[in-house]
Amino acid sequence: MDVEDEAFDDEEEEISQEDAWAVITSYFEEKGLVRQQLDSFDEFIQNTMQEIVDESPDIEVTPESQHQPGMEFEVDEQRHYRIQFGQIYLSKPMMTEADGETGTLFPKEARLRNLTYSAPLYVDLIKTLTKYGAEGEDPIVETEELPKVFIGKVPIMLRSQYCSLYDHSDKELAELGECPYDQGGYFIINGSEKALIAQEKMSNNHVYVFKKTMPHKYSHTAECRSVLEHGNRPTSTIFVKQMAGSGGKGAAGCIRTTIPYIRADIPIVIVFRALGFVADKDILEHIVYDFKDTAMMDLLRPSLEEAFVIQNQQVALDYIGKRGSTVGVSKEKRIRYAKEILQKELLPHVGIGDYCETKKAYFLGYIVNRMLVCALCRRQQDDRDHYGNKRLDLAGPLMGGLFRMLFRKVTKDVKGYVQKCVDNGKEINLTYAVRAKTITSGLKYSLATGNWGAQGTQGVRAGVSQVLNRLTYASTLSHLRRLNSPIGREGKLAKPRQLHNSHWGMICPAETPEGQACGLVKNLALMAYISVGSPSAPILEFLEEWQTENLEEITASVIPSATKIFVNGCWVGIHRDPELLVRTLRQLRRQVDVNTEVGVVRDIRLQELRLYTDAGRCCRPLFIVDNQRLLIKRTDIVQLQNRETTSFGWHDLVAAGLIEYVDTEEEETTMISMTINDLQGARSNMESGYYPTYTHCEIHPSMILGICGSIIPFPDHNQSPRNTYQSAMGKQAMGIYCTNFQTRMDTLAYVLYYPQKPLVTTRSMEYLHFRELPAGINAIVAIACYSGYNQEDSVIMNQSSIDRGLFRSIFYRSYREEEKRQGTLCREEMEIPDAEVTLAMRHGSYDKLDDDGLAPPGTRCSGNDIVIGKTAALPDDGSGSVQRYTKKDCSTAVRSTESGIVDQVLVTTNDQGLKFVKLRMRKEKVPQVGDKFASRHGQKGTIGMTYTQEDMPFSCEGIYPDIVVNPHAIPSRMTIGHLVECLMGKVASLLGKEGDATPFTDVTVEDVSSALHKCGYQSRGFEVMYNGHTGRQLKGRQIFLGPTYYQRLKHMVDDKVHSRARGPVQILTRQPMEGRSRDGGLRFGEMERDCMIAHGGSNFMKERLFECSDAYRVHVCEICGLICIANLKKNTFECLGCKNKTKVSQITIPYACKLLFQELMSMCIAPRMLFKK
Amino acid sequence: MVKKEKYGSSKPPPRKPKMQIRELTEDHVKFVLSETDTSIANALRRSMMTDIPTIAIDLVEVEMNTTVLNDEYLAHRLGLIPLISTQVDKMKSPLESEDDDFVDVEFTLDVTCTSDSTMDVTSDFLIPDPKYPDIVPVKYNPVADQIGGESQEGILIVKLRKNQQLKIKAIARKGIGKDHAKWNPTATAVYQFQPEIILHQAVLETLSLEQKEEWVNSWPTKAVKLNPVTQQVEVDNAELYQYDCECIAKAEAMGKPGLCTINQKTDTFIFTVESTGVLPPQQIVITALDRMLERLNTVQVALKLESQTHEDGGEFYDCKYLDIWLRCLNVWQLIS
Repeated sequence: MDVEDEAFDDEEEEISQEDAWAVITSYFEEKGLVRQQLDSFDEFIQNTMQEIVDESPDIEVTPESQHQPGMEFEVDEQRHYRIQFGQIYLSKPMMTEADGETGTLFPKEARLRNLTYSAPLYVDLIKTLTKYGAEGEDPIVETEELPKVFIGKVPIMLRSQYCSLYDHSDKELAELGECPYDQGGYFIINGSEKALIAQEKMSNNHVYVFKKTMPHKYSHTAECRSVLEHGNRPTSTIFVKQMAGSGGKGAAGCIRTTIPYIRADIPIVIVFRALGFVADKDILEHIVYDFKDTAMMDLLRPSLEEAFVIQNQQVALDYIGKRGSTVGVSKEKRIRYAKEILQKELLPHVGIGDYCETKKAYFLGYIVNRMLVCALCRRQQDDRDHYGNKRLDLAGPLMGGLFRMLFRKVTKDVKGYVQKCVDNGKEINLTYAVRAKTITSGLKYSLATGNWGAQGTQGVRAGVSQVLNRLTYASTLSHLRRLNSPIGREGKLAKPRQLHNSHWGMICPAETPEGQACGLVKNLALMAYISVGSPSAPILEFLEEWQTENLEEITASVIPSATKIFVNGCWVGIHRDPELLVRTLRQLRRQVDVNTEVGVVRDIRLQELRLYTDAGRCCRPLFIVDNQRLLIKRTDIVQLQNRETTSFGWHDLVAAGLIEYVDTEEEETTMISMTINDLQGARSNMESGYYPTYTHCEIHPSMILGICGSIIPFPDHNQSPRNTYQSAMGKQAMGIYCTNFQTRMDTLAYVLYYPQKPLVTTRSMEYLHFRELPAGINAIVAIACYSGYNQEDSVIMNQSSIDRGLFRSIFYRSYREEEKRQGTLCREEMEIPDAEVTLAMRHGSYDKLDDDGLAPPGTRCSGNDIVIGKTAALPDDGSGSVQRYTKKDCSTAVRSTESGIVDQVLVTTNDQGLKFVKLRMRKEKVPQVGDKFASRHGQKGTIGMTYTQEDMPFSCEGIYPDIVVNPHAIPSRMTIGHLVECLMGKVASLLGKEGDATPFTDVTVEDVSSALHKCGYQSRGFEVMYNGHTGRQLKGRQIFLGPTYYQRLKHMVDDKVHSRARGPVQILTRQPMEGRSRDGGLRFGEMERDCMIAHGGSNFMKERLFECSDAYRVHVCEICGLICIANLKKNTFECLGCKNKTKVSQITIPYACKLLFQELMSMCIAPRMLFKK
Repeated sequence: MVKKEKYGSSKPPPRKPKMQIRELTEDHVKFVLSETDTSIANALRRSMMTDIPTIAIDLVEVEMNTTVLNDEYLAHRLGLIPLISTQVDKMKSPLESEDDDFVDVEFTLDVTCTSDSTMDVTSDFLIPDPKYPDIVPVKYNPVADQIGGESQEGILIVKLRKNQQLKIKAIARKGIGKDHAKWNPTATAVYQFQPEIILHQAVLETLSLEQKEEWVNSWPTKAVKLNPVTQQVEVDNAELYQYDCECIAKAEAMGKPGLCTINQKTDTFIFTVESTGVLPPQQIVITALDRMLERLNTVQVALKLESQTHEDGGEFYDCKYLDIWLRCLNVWQLIS
């Protein structure tokens, strides 16, 4: 075969963009949509927990002499106890009933009975007792092993490896009462589903250099948040700063650094001297590397001059020690203290053992070097917002941190217990010593409240765990892929909120909330993958093998000619042939000899090779390109397409080195072609431009979007904020939120009656199961002005369509109640309260209750009706007489503004064995004027009018629109996607096919238009319509008509309408209550007040703010001006202090004012009211 | 078939609306209404949709429902089942009824799924009221009569799994489309103005064959065609034209304005009425006309009363059918 033929064959073998979808499908088939959560949690369960147990030091206890009066003090032998923690064991999620019966727990039961879905954790304990006899004798060692001691329950993430649902088929899941489309990735704590929100943080051990502007003290600073790979030491951040200012000031240009526990900044040269590098040359070598670089040497001159007085290590150490926290101690102590600080606290990630000085000096030098490079304007300052500098804490690390803290507390408690036993000479029973509740309730507390950290301690992060949003399926998925940056919401800084170019493919550019959290709360893109972390040891081993020179073994002079190698930010050595090293590393990674998620970054300008193995890096898969050709070939695609027979899946593609994960930092060193066609172009056009350097190729550009963004058809035709609005609105759409909604008892749920899969779809919807669990209806939408009832974002809806079931939905609300029991006195019982003996009965009707105190399914209830009757026994008042009331009512009533039919009643027991009831109400909601609807393009509107079919405009084919939208909604918002969707929807409905609206594809409006023309319609979707009222043709304009996917949003007028004339008031101030649920008043606020002043409506205002609010009559003594006693029955008035019974005025003041006066009086301030005659 | 009307004395001379039936099948009718106004045509259209009494299930008593759909859902679905309403005239709606009028038609349904596979409960399972065996769902084919294999035409109500049961009593009542869409007997009731296409052959001849073809192709609906023999553009079926003006725009884009002129005949209406099956289409049209007349009579009576109470009043005509509106207008003019 000659060369030409070969080339031809190759071209045949190339895959098309269409084939890339087979790859994407295989990705989602294997990974699902919440892989990051599951992977991270599995890592925690499988490795992190054991590591935490292993790294905790053994408990060692020796008895301390006790002085007990009256007891003879006698010690004949020295005892030494040691308790070791060994292997941990985790069982499947279990549940222990109140009667002691234990069984496996399934999520459905946990949700319904308000249990916690958690698995018991056991650990092997080894107790060693060493008895030292008299001197010279061998100590006696007794070892006792306690296998599998229960140390607590760990909540289990659903669908993780330890979940009872792991590896079940769809059919089995359905039988277990689970939705097969549910992705898991959340926890069940006390029956409520909790999602852990990934927390964004700056990456550790990374040197950042920043320029400071003039008023600042420093011209440049470099910082490094140094933290050990393992262990729980707090991060120690080092700042290296260059003083600003030229001319005059002595310190100008000096470089200083902070050292933990040292109060003052220390000149950098002194730190080097303290580390044992005394000579100027040695110091400069570590910073500048290349002595020919005179510019940099010059920058260091002020620093060297500043430290001229300190010329040896001891003096330098003393200099540092003097500025430490120890005061008034001897010089030796100071020096030892300084040495300790330098060893343990300065740059701990480099090493905290002995003899790390060389490494530390090199790293410190590197920090200074980086800063100087920036000062010399050879390099830009670092970008704080670059996503490569960010790490995400997912469920694994979050749970890990919590578990570490709680486990330490457990060991502390064990130690305390053992110590107490030993001191008192008691037998040690380790099963009692381990307080399992610490871990069980500690984990439960954080997951239930979202306060990450121990209860009652400072510095806890709030909102880490949130109640999983179950409004619609897409909102659930999106919630599980959410990220949060814990930066103050008030911060004015816009930078962290903006979309950064490094977010490409990792973070959805559309999906973020509006308002305070805008840009701080983000969502993962569809194919983003978060690294779970792998040990760095294999990498270090590999580097060792491949001729990496250790820092201790080299002279500084070779550094400029070699490449510095960093592993997780720590400088491990240098290498003279980085090209080869990088190639081998990448090769090994592609062969899966090295973990696929290891990041290899070669920074040629800085002469650095940075390797990353840590957890929380954002990665994404890309096609590997070699010699302008994708490594993946048609044969691979064919194998993928026949997955059933070949079982060739995503991981095979990765293992075969056809696809690799590239993290954000590595991405900066790649050249990625946007489409497969670009590569083709590159091949045919080898010479021009940067073509010949492609290293990777996007799988599909539409994968940059997240869950909510992927639902939007033609997002690439919309103005970008509209996509953001839709991303927020899609979460409020009604649909089918999961297939098992009938068996669930969610507090609130909305289900659409006749959901439809959209006519116009995107390819990504397949993976979001949007067709299976849709959230909208393909309504026939006309864009027209018609009768004027669709102005200002309102829509006209076809009443006949509503009659036929358009956008009908059910609303479910569940009420829960339990028979609480505290001691023997307080006991509650579910029954029909008897008005004769029950105190504080409600106003609502008790007629709906059955004998068991519960309203049976099928009961129609209106607001305030009692649906769960419950009484609490009143304690005996002790008077001995027969009490009229023996019980107090604590029944549950239907919310005052709601009504409905009792749908389902669940009677069970909770984990304490108490009777536990959940009752679900159902209500059919028919669209009516005021209900909210939205298309998928951020075009929301409420119904302004409903017209029956005959009043709607009609086309000559007899098509009546379901919805009439006002055309003014379009031009200023520029949602062209809305129009294209409508056009394509029309074609799709005529051809009986789905329309493809995936962004960044070759579909054009022209294509759609000509297809419509072929179907016998006006090519742009216009139709001549006739006025339904008059029957005349709508002259001069044709109406844009076609099917558009509309969503019904959860905001409905019936849940909002509110008015009040009189009603409940607050107890303290006697002003009207706030809020609809309490039948509160409507606030007449300051702006309304200003308005009334401007209008001169003072009497009206007095009425609103005073008479209709909290007017109160008081009687005031005219002598002292204080409130006095008024007996209105006898019509006597008296001021006791003034002995005044006649000079009393009756006034009305706001009750709040009276309250203020009395509160002031309680503080010894007498507010006196004086009256002018 | 032309419907002939009788007229009284004419002043001013009234037009004679004509109705010509083009097509009449079991489920739809196409007719041409001519020599009248849009208002009449539209009134007829609206009347057909809203004013024709039909029967639909209005009240559902659920005795047992263990299906996946809740009671309201089922009630709504049952309501939308079209019921043969030819007997509707004998019925009274609940509002106009007196003691022993014929108001309710009671359907029953009692199904339990016993098989392992999913069972479809369709309108065929509804058991009609023994008193009125003719009031049944459209295309009713009672399950009892089905010999093996299910009928494909029943309307699906709900699907059952093993041991699920549905037992209900559904009461059908008389009503009109104005109250709820379920009483609307029409699936389509629409008219179209008769277009008149005049091709200017002289201008057309200036086009080349390709241009002609291009122009003919620009019509979304093929109202004109290119005769392959004569190579001339001919009007094929003018009624297909939907007033989209595409051909005129195209002609202008080609630099040849005036290729054709299209007139809209505002006094001729091509009606298409499709029935849901509850009533035969011709009956829908006739009842609609009756209802219109009824309404006019009401107006007439009211006007008469009005004029009696006021002064001598105007002259009244013995109005009949379609020209009635025009006369009514005259009456109004006379009074005011």
